Amino acid sequence: MTVPRLELEQFALVVEARREQDPASSLCLACVDVLGVSGAGLVLMSGGRSVDLVGVSDRVSETVEQMEYTFGEGPCVSACRTKVPVFDADLADDAVVRWPEFRRGALGAGVRAAFGFPLLVNRICIGALNLYQDRAGALTEDQVADALVVAQFATRSVIGWQADAPPGTVAWQLAQTPGHGVEVHQATGRISVQAGVSLDDALVLLRAYSFSHDRPIGEIAADVAAGRLRLD
Amino acid sequence: MSRERDLFAAFIEFADTFVADYDVVEFLHRLAERCVELINASEVGIMLADREGVLHYVASSSELMRVIELVELQHDEGPCLDAYRTGLAVHSESTGDAIARWPRVARHARDLGFQAMAALPMRLRSEVIGALNVFSTTPEPLSSRDRQLAQALADIATIGILQERALSDERIVTTQLEGALQSRILIEQAKGIVAEHNHVSIDDAFKLLRGYARNHNRLLGNTAYDVIEGTLAAEALTAPARSGGT
Repeated sequence: MTVPRLELEQFALVVEARREQDPASSLCLACVDVLGVSGAGLVLMSGGRSVDLVGVSDRVSETVEQMEYTFGEGPCVSACRTKVPVFDADLADDAVVRWPEFRRGALGAGVRAAFGFPLLVNRICIGALNLYQDRAGALTEDQVADALVVAQFATRSVIGWQADAPPGTVAWQLAQTPGHGVEVHQATGRISVQAGVSLDDALVLLRAYSFSHDRPIGEIAADVAAGRLRLD
Repeated sequence: MSRERDLFAAFIEFADTFVADYDVVEFLHRLAERCVELINASEVGIMLADREGVLHYVASSSELMRVIELVELQHDEGPCLDAYRTGLAVHSESTGDAIARWPRVARHARDLGFQAMAALPMRLRSEVIGALNVFSTTPEPLSSRDRQLAQALADIATIGILQERALSDERIVTTQLEGALQSRILIEQAKGIVAEHNHVSIDDAFKLLRGYARNHNRLLGNTAYDVIEGTLAAEALTAPARSGGT
C-alpha cells in the first residue's frame, strides 16, 4: 500500500480553516501547516519577472520575497523560467554558484533552504510558490509530491479569483500585500525622469541602490515615490 | 464481431480528437454519423446549451434531422429538450406514445417518416451541457443496449467538450491577468513620470492622468502607455484639457 497523497479538496479545507488573513496569505499559512516548512510565499510573474507578492506566511518570507524581487533572481524566477520546480537545499553551500545575491540576503534573513514551484497554465507560468526552511536539507519525496498538489491548488485559486475580477483589473485577492510593487513602479517612473534613462534601466538603478545601501527595495521605492529621495 | 470492432474504432477516433486540433462542431458531426452506424438509428442530432442554458442545434447526421431539431426548438418540446432539462434518458415506446408526449414535434416527425424517438443527456455528474437525439424509421423502440451505447458515446463527447471549455477559459483568464498586471504596472510608472515632470505628488499625478483620460475619452491604461512612450508629453497633463484644443 502506498501512502495516500494529499488531495486538492483536503488542502482546500486546510486553507479554509486557516482563513484569518487575506486569501493568498491563508493559502501560504496552510502550505506551512501541511508541508511542514518554515515559510511560504506566493508570487505572480509577468514577462519573466516577479511582479507582485500576493501572499506570505510570515515576516521572514516577506523579507526574502522582497529580496528576490530586488535582485531579480531566486527560486521563483528560476522556477518560472524553467517551468520545473527548483530546489536549493542549502543556501550556505559554497559549491552552488546560482543566485549569489539572493542566497546572501536570504541567509542573512534566517532562511537556509529555498524551493520554487511554478504555477503553470497550459505551459505558461503565471507565478510561483516559494517554500523556505530555516535549516538545511532537501524536501522529502512526500513533501515534493504534496507541494506539487499545493502549487496546482494555488494555480486554480489564482485563475478562479481572476475569473471573477472586473475586466481590465487585477482581482482583489491578488493585490493584497501593500507596499510591494506599486511604489516600485512609481519610483521607477520617477527615476527614469531624474536620471534620464529608460524604465528598465531605472529599475536597475533602484535595485542597485537598495543593494548597495542594504535596505529593502520597498523602503527605497516608497522614499523615491514620495519625493524624499532622488536617484539622479 | 464487426460491431465491436467498429465500436473500438469509434472510441479510438474520439479519443484522438481530444489531442489533435479540436473543433467542437466537426467533432459532433462525426459523433452523430458514428452513432447512426453503430446503433439501430436512422438519424442522430445533437444540441448544446449556451451559458444561459438555452439549447442550440449543433450537429446532425442529415439535413432532415437538422429540420427536426429546429422544430423541437421552435415548439419548445421534444425528447432532446426533456433529456436536457431532466438530465435523464427518455424514449418513446410507440408512435402513439411519442405523440402523446410531444404532440407537435412527434406528428411532424411522423410525417417525415420517423416512428421511434429517444434522447440521451450529455451530462457529467450534475452538469448537463446538451442532449443527443436518436430517431428511427422503424416502429420498435430503441433497445436498451443501443441506448447504453449511445449514452457511452454521448459521455465521451461530453467529457471532451468540458475539457476543452475549461482549457479555453483558463487561457482567457491567463491572458486577462497578464494584461491587467501589465496595465497596472504602466499606470504606476506613468504616475511616477508625471509626478517627477510636473513636480507634484503621486496622488496628484494620478488625478492628472485620470483627468486627461476622461477628457479625451481614452482608457487610463492607454494614456499611461502614451506617457511612457513619450507620444504624450507629461507636461501636457498640467492644464485641464478640452477636446477641440485651446
